[in-house]
Amino acid sequence: MRFLRQLAAAAMVVAAVVLIGLAWSRLAPRLPGEGPAGHAFAIRGRVVTRLPPGALPPPGAQRPSGAGLPPGGAPGIRRNGGSGIPGLALGDLLEPVNLVVLRDSALLEAVVIAAVVIADAGYRRMRRARRAGTGPPPPGITHGK
Amino acid sequence: MAGEAGRRKVPVVSGSSAASPAGTASRRGRRARVAARTRLDFWFDAAILAGYTVAYSYGFTGVVIHEWLGIGLGIALLLHLTLHWDWVLRTTRRLFSPRGHDKLIWLVNLALLFAMTLCVASGIAISRVALPELGIYTLQGPFWFRLHALTAEVTVGLVPVHVALRWRWIAGVGRRLLAWRLGRWPR
Repeated sequence: MRFLRQLAAAAMVVAAVVLIGLAWSRLAPRLPGEGPAGHAFAIRGRVVTRLPPGALPPPGAQRPSGAGLPPGGAPGIRRNGGSGIPGLALGDLLEPVNLVVLRDSALLEAVVIAAVVIADAGYRRMRRARRAGTGPPPPGITHGK
Repeated sequence: MAGEAGRRKVPVVSGSSAASPAGTASRRGRRARVAARTRLDFWFDAAILAGYTVAYSYGFTGVVIHEWLGIGLGIALLLHLTLHWDWVLRTTRRLFSPRGHDKLIWLVNLALLFAMTLCVASGIAISRVALPELGIYTLQGPFWFRLHALTAEVTVGLVPVHVALRWRWIAGVGRRLLAWRLGRWPR
């Protein structure tokens, strides 16, 4: 019963955030860092070369294959073969080219975790030393020798 | 993340009542055990972290797995929030007291709640495979594409911060779990 109450409360919070997103899309469909015309992208002749994900090409521009796809690009895209079951092609996951993407994401997260842990440990040590009344000795000063 | 469990007064261990005559003898055994709730928090949070890392790697998963995993992460996010609702209430209440220790964590968690919820919601709005497969047709507007990309980038920055701010709890529970599994709990 308590779990259900908490689940309902959490669902309400999530729903409120979704409603904020919907209101944002209706009232001011612009994201931070965007100009009034959206992202700038280069047009060479009449061909759009760098179309941001989801953006519509200007009238008359030719759209190259692969433009407008979400980050990560086309290589990993699998299509539903029309059989009603999505084509997962799980074997592709083990291809080294695709694994590089996963490795990069994991590395990025590991670096941020390491940075925060080091900063937090340093901050805690400093606070403990300050509370004990003996701050760490200034760099370059050694005791006993 | 599950770090708040480490701050509870009755936290990481559980077991039968210590009031029994054999209580003293079994106390060491009880100490070696990690509370079921703590284990749930630890492994569930680890699964969410791994799931998000895989889902973010769009080039690795492809669109189908990316979309279904994203929907799964949305459900996991809701459950995670539910499991830690007590912490949310407690910390929000203490937010304005001068001795509130968890202000930074609260702010990071709030930002992450917004970023991840909007990421999942915008992902659902632009779904090309998962929802159409269920007969639900989606919005596909450029705003939602851009919001999805932006919130995914913000989330990938905030998730590791969210994890790392609880590194002491993670290290503590991880050590206990390892010792428990290996049966080498220090006596």
